[in-house]
Amino acid sequence: MMKAIGGFLLLAAVALLIRSTALSVLAARGVILDVLAFVTVVWALRWGESWGASFGFVLGLAADLDTAHWLGRHALVLALIGYAVGRLARALVRDNPFTQLVLLFAATVIHQSWALAFELGHVAGWRFLLGHVVIAGLVSAPLGVLLVAAVRAGSGRSLFSLAATEIDSRA
Amino acid sequence: MGGFLPPAERRSGILLGFYAALALVLLLTGERVPQAAIRGVGAWVFAPLDRIVLVADRMSAAWRENQRLHERVTRLELENAYLRRAGIENQRLRESLGLPAYRGPSLGPVEVLALTGEPIPTAATLSAGSRQGVRLGDAVVTSEGLVGRVGEVYPGLSRAILLTDPNSAVACEVESTAVQGVLRVSTSPSPRLLLTGIPLADTVRRGQLVLTSGLSVRYPRGLPVGRVARLDRDRDGLTQVIEVAPSARLSRLRHAFVIPGPPHPGGPAEVPAP
Repeated sequence: MMKAIGGFLLLAAVALLIRSTALSVLAARGVILDVLAFVTVVWALRWGESWGASFGFVLGLAADLDTAHWLGRHALVLALIGYAVGRLARALVRDNPFTQLVLLFAATVIHQSWALAFELGHVAGWRFLLGHVVIAGLVSAPLGVLLVAAVRAGSGRSLFSLAATEIDSRA
Repeated sequence: MGGFLPPAERRSGILLGFYAALALVLLLTGERVPQAAIRGVGAWVFAPLDRIVLVADRMSAAWRENQRLHERVTRLELENAYLRRAGIENQRLRESLGLPAYRGPSLGPVEVLALTGEPIPTAATLSAGSRQGVRLGDAVVTSEGLVGRVGEVYPGLSRAILLTDPNSAVACEVESTAVQGVLRVSTSPSPRLLLTGIPLADTVRRGQLVLTSGLSVRYPRGLPVGRVARLDRDRDGLTQVIEVAPSARLSRLRHAFVIPGPPHPGGPAEVPAP
């Protein structure tokens, strides 16, 4: 349990750190890597829906506080994504790269659409929103799958093995 | 409905409901929540980590920047020699006209630790705070131009609100024409800086420099803000829509300077270098 909470806080801190340093530079140039959606999906795939929703909420709230506008917008959508991915994780083959690709793409598109809708605040911005969201999905999802594969190759074991145990024991 | 679900699912469903309700309450009432103190703690926790992450990026950029700066120093030294002569001449002319002598602003160097905001940065964490003399409302500039103003001050850190923040508004004028307007960010149809409130009768051309105006309370007059990038009419055809490309590269901020604002009664007038 303590290990999980430690991992929870560490992953959230690393994601927020990368987002506010390296990724903010890329985002301003139009290359959007949605690290918040990525870590929420990975966490939910590994730990299931309760932890997925909790992780998404805490991470989103921290991101909202950092942005200083519309407190709760990232928290709401990331909690829902964490919950949905955690529920889906029971029925999916989590180590399948195609499954990961689809989940990451969907999570990125949903997260970016919701978060950016607040920034734009007008229907006239739909073209920008669409372009931004599609680029985010197309960039974040494949890179996320590659990162998961790299971690798996480096560690020699699946990232999601623990989730299977947890769900099997619950079933 | 919860009774049809197994206990584990019911628990996670209740948890999600709680999170969703809390997030919605925050969305509706979040502006009333005092967030500055929490952000201050966050900035304090993340500042050392930001510094570590930025070391790699800065080291790779330092070599190229050093070469560029050497070239620039040489060019500026030559230009400075010319300007010094012109300055003496200007001083004599001002004296003969009875105008007060010009005094440049004092600059407090700061490091930019982190940028916040998507799709474009809207805020930056600075490495100096109240201990270094930074005060609320101080202007933040780079060598290229205006970046924003200090919005929150903590003991060793501060947070700058950039020109791209939705709450930012800067009184500006177009170089040499004295055409006055207010610079704001527009997020629709895409994020951009607009100089607003300029009548159609005023002549503005692409490429002209936009500077802070004398009407600005927060910013000293004459700071470069950007260049006119695009001209258009607004939907009602009453005023011009002028798109401004910022002088400072807001997405690549590494170092900046804090310019002290107008002195408060009884407060310090100068920002000492940190």
